[in-house]
Amino acid sequence: MAVCIAVIAKENYPLYIRSVPTQNELKFHYTVHTSLDVVEEKISAVGKAMADQRELYLGLLYPTEDYKVYGYVTNSKVKFVIVVDSSNTSLRDNEIRSMFRKLHNSFTDVMCNPFYNPGDPIQSKAFDGIVSGMMVQPS
Amino acid sequence: MSVPDYMQCAEDHQTVLVVVQPVGIVPEDQFFKIYKRIASVSQVSIRDSQRLLYIRYRHHYLPENNEWGDFQTHRKVVGLIAVTTCGSSKEWPQTSERFHGQKEVYGSTLYDSRLLVFGLQGEIAEQQRTDVAFYLNFDECPDVEKRVEDFVESIFIVLESKRLDRATDKSGDKIPLLCVPFEKKDFVGLDTDSRHYKKRCQGRMRKHVGDLCLQAGMLQDALVHYHMAVELLRGVNDFLWLGAALEGLCSASVIFHYPGGTAGKTAGRKPNISQPADAGKRHRPGAQEVLIDPGALTSNGISADTSTEIGRAKNCLSPEDIIEKYKEAISYYGKYKNAGVIELEACVKAVRVLAIQKRAMEASEFLQNAVYINLGQLSEEEKIQRYSILSELYDLIGFHRKSAFFKRVAAMQCVAPTIPEPGWRACYKLLLETLPGYSLSLDPKDFNKGTHRGWAAVQMRLLHELVYASRRMGNPGLSVRHLSFLLQTMLDFLSDQEKKEVTQSLENYTSKCPGGMEVITLPDGLKLPPAWTTCDRLLLSLCFMSTIAAQPNPDIYHYDKIVFFFFLGLFYLNFFKLMCWCAYLFLDFQWVQGDVCEVQLMVYNPMPYELRVENMGLLTSGVEFESLPAALSLPAESGLYPVTLVGVPRTAGNITVNGYHTSVFGVTSDCLLESLPGVKTGGCLVEVIPSLPRLQLSTSLPRSAHTPQPMSKEELSSTVSVQLFNGETQQLTITLENIGTEDIETLELTSKTVTTKEKVFGEFLSWELEEALSHLPLKPGQSVTLTVNIKVKLDFSGQENLLQDLNDDGISVTGLPISSPLRQVLKPRAETKPVSSESGKAEYNHIKTLEAVLNFKYSGGAGKVEGYYRDLSLGVHVDVEPSVFFTRVSTLPATSTRQCHLLLDIFNSTEHELTVNAKNNQDLVLHASECQR
Repeated sequence: MAVCIAVIAKENYPLYIRSVPTQNELKFHYTVHTSLDVVEEKISAVGKAMADQRELYLGLLYPTEDYKVYGYVTNSKVKFVIVVDSSNTSLRDNEIRSMFRKLHNSFTDVMCNPFYNPGDPIQSKAFDGIVSGMMVQPS
Repeated sequence: MSVPDYMQCAEDHQTVLVVVQPVGIVPEDQFFKIYKRIASVSQVSIRDSQRLLYIRYRHHYLPENNEWGDFQTHRKVVGLIAVTTCGSSKEWPQTSERFHGQKEVYGSTLYDSRLLVFGLQGEIAEQQRTDVAFYLNFDECPDVEKRVEDFVESIFIVLESKRLDRATDKSGDKIPLLCVPFEKKDFVGLDTDSRHYKKRCQGRMRKHVGDLCLQAGMLQDALVHYHMAVELLRGVNDFLWLGAALEGLCSASVIFHYPGGTAGKTAGRKPNISQPADAGKRHRPGAQEVLIDPGALTSNGISADTSTEIGRAKNCLSPEDIIEKYKEAISYYGKYKNAGVIELEACVKAVRVLAIQKRAMEASEFLQNAVYINLGQLSEEEKIQRYSILSELYDLIGFHRKSAFFKRVAAMQCVAPTIPEPGWRACYKLLLETLPGYSLSLDPKDFNKGTHRGWAAVQMRLLHELVYASRRMGNPGLSVRHLSFLLQTMLDFLSDQEKKEVTQSLENYTSKCPGGMEVITLPDGLKLPPAWTTCDRLLLSLCFMSTIAAQPNPDIYHYDKIVFFFFLGLFYLNFFKLMCWCAYLFLDFQWVQGDVCEVQLMVYNPMPYELRVENMGLLTSGVEFESLPAALSLPAESGLYPVTLVGVPRTAGNITVNGYHTSVFGVTSDCLLESLPGVKTGGCLVEVIPSLPRLQLSTSLPRSAHTPQPMSKEELSSTVSVQLFNGETQQLTITLENIGTEDIETLELTSKTVTTKEKVFGEFLSWELEEALSHLPLKPGQSVTLTVNIKVKLDFSGQENLLQDLNDDGISVTGLPISSPLRQVLKPRAETKPVSSESGKAEYNHIKTLEAVLNFKYSGGAGKVEGYYRDLSLGVHVDVEPSVFFTRVSTLPATSTRQCHLLLDIFNSTEHELTVNAKNNQDLVLHASECQR
């Protein structure tokens, strides 16, 4: 399960970021922030012509000593980043994918809310609930 | 070998290393001047061989690293240039001795050396020696470059001879085993006759020859040798050297593919127009030569047959292969703990190549790997260096965020607690360099575009660190600037507790060093524009207000004060966003020279505690303006809170209100309207007219808060109210005092009765102005009194319900119906009465109101010349009570049936005697509060 989930706007500022060990939130901010370099690189690597068929799931962005960072980019260039613990080997690529899909669906719901102003931080409780479900339960 | 050279790049394999060192006492600046001149000779074309020799200069090189020279020849110091000063010939032997001592250090690898002597004159200097050059002083040494070139050529000759020597070594089985320092003990007692060992020797030698060829400018030969070395070494699993051979191969290929160099501007090659174009041409034929002439290969006698097996067309690696081979080489290096530096350097080189190929993803993998290479115990300085270089490389491949991250780590390392003398200055400098990576600009202007969007948590951290670093640097001015910037831009993200902390520390700092408005320029040229303090956030709306002077056109109905609202930079409520557009000003009033005028600002305190704003005043341009600063205290989380700023214009003309200045938490800041978000105007233009006198008005009657209905409070300077009985006359004494500084020269008085439905008889207000006018001109401080008579004559009659009462009354008492003609008789009678009131028993306190406005128009002084005048209005409010009531009406049958007596009970509600006149001139005297029939 994830230790940190972030939603990043098209202009690369965070719309939503939540991590489980809350005492070290800043570290995850740094992790996610630096992962954007890789995301951007991966997006730009895919040619513009391919943009339509582009796979949204970007795969493993980069591994750090303790965590693995996965990325996902919607067609509107909103980025999702999920950080999982490296020690969690049970997590398959497919599961990460399904987590992203769930996240994307929930995000779509948020965007459908007529009172939500695109570009504002996400404060939806429903979205929060979905994210919580994907996070490691703090023991 | 423990210290990696992070600046290395692939082309460095091609260079020969020359160390330039001072010997004895040489002034540092002079040394570096000479060093620079020497270093300018970075490539020398050898006269008869059309080859280029590249030279790498170092003024500092660890002899320890030199020991790896056999492994990669570009690590070998082959030349030494010593720079020394020598005052007299007596010192010469000593200097010479030192030079030789220096030579000893690198002695094992040195091909040649030179000594540059400065300052020596006389006999010894006259000698012609090849290895020593004498110069009078540091400024007069025109042929240093020439000398160096000669020196390089002599190195080349040695290099070439070594190359040929190695390449044509016929001694076959007597090939020495080259090894790196840490391997030496491993090979003790090894069977030197085994096939395996021989092959290993051959492979390593091949690789060595390849290095030499590369250095000597024979790229194609080098490639061939490297290829063979790779084959040989792969066979014997000599991984370290296999890695080196592969890396050599890569380097040679990189040099071939990218003649412009991979090091970027740091060590850019001298632009040589002919070289890049020639490089391909020259090398390509060269390659064919080699391949056509197998003699060149066979002649070396190591293993002539394998060379032909190497794919001839693939001598040079393709760009993709280069990376593959680098990867392989690095993985081989990785097997050896002691080769960490080599591995790291290979990574750095590979990243540089990838950066040129624009393959950032792969480059980041290399860098990621480089991060994990353990070099054992690093000194703090080395750590800093390592992190900064990582940051630089990440920047090179376009990963600015990662770059910023490492730069920050490097900055933190500068001040790590383990360091005895923390380099706050360096830390601060590095932190500043990280700003773009975190997309943070220190110019508050960039934050005006609506709400802040960015990595607030990370940016806040960085700002905090900047504040701390600048404070430790001993520059409180900077930390104040950063802190106020933090407060200004990150306010929305700070918790209440944090806000408190930040402001507290800001106050602490400002007590030592007041924050100002000047732009702080950092040593490296970065300018820190003044950050506004929260005050700017406070300003939500601004409204203008002014004591009005007067208007030249008396027809325009004007107010004494005009209030303008315009909303500015509304950060908080979406609703107000729309209103940002109405920030346009049209000012329809004037300020008067010498008079206090006001501007009202609506401010907002977003802080969770009380905020003290000091020294708040107006910023104006145009005429001379004396701003009277105000200090105020804003309650916590206040809503819109009006603040009135006052000032006195000293001369007439046009004045533009540009903004305001404040001092909050000890930080003074100027805030201009035009720089506020959402404001379309750069200031408000107000006309200041010449000075006019001022009158103060006081009356004999009590003031009241009552205002005549159609007018607002602003129009009237005061209002008096009085309660009168109908018909009563009251004298109102008005005292006009000149409180201004100018003489009052004219005075006019008009009155205007507020329209009511009531009919007013006679003149409501009357006065005699002549007496007052005779006092004119009125000097400042003088006063004049004016008596105004208030006379109320009102019609209290004719109210239907009263008549109805009367009617009912009449019927019930007498049984005789009062016909309508009679009623008509009643009415005029009441009307003609000067004092008349028809009031039913239920309406005892029936009061009517009369209101009027007395308008004083006066002028004088300079303003009068231009036709301005000032208005002063006095509202008069009179409650009129009827003085007589008919408490009871009844009829009595009279003698004639056609007539009847009308009996009226009249009640005198006044305190005076009054006479009631009826039509038949019968007078009835009523005493106070008396009721008579």
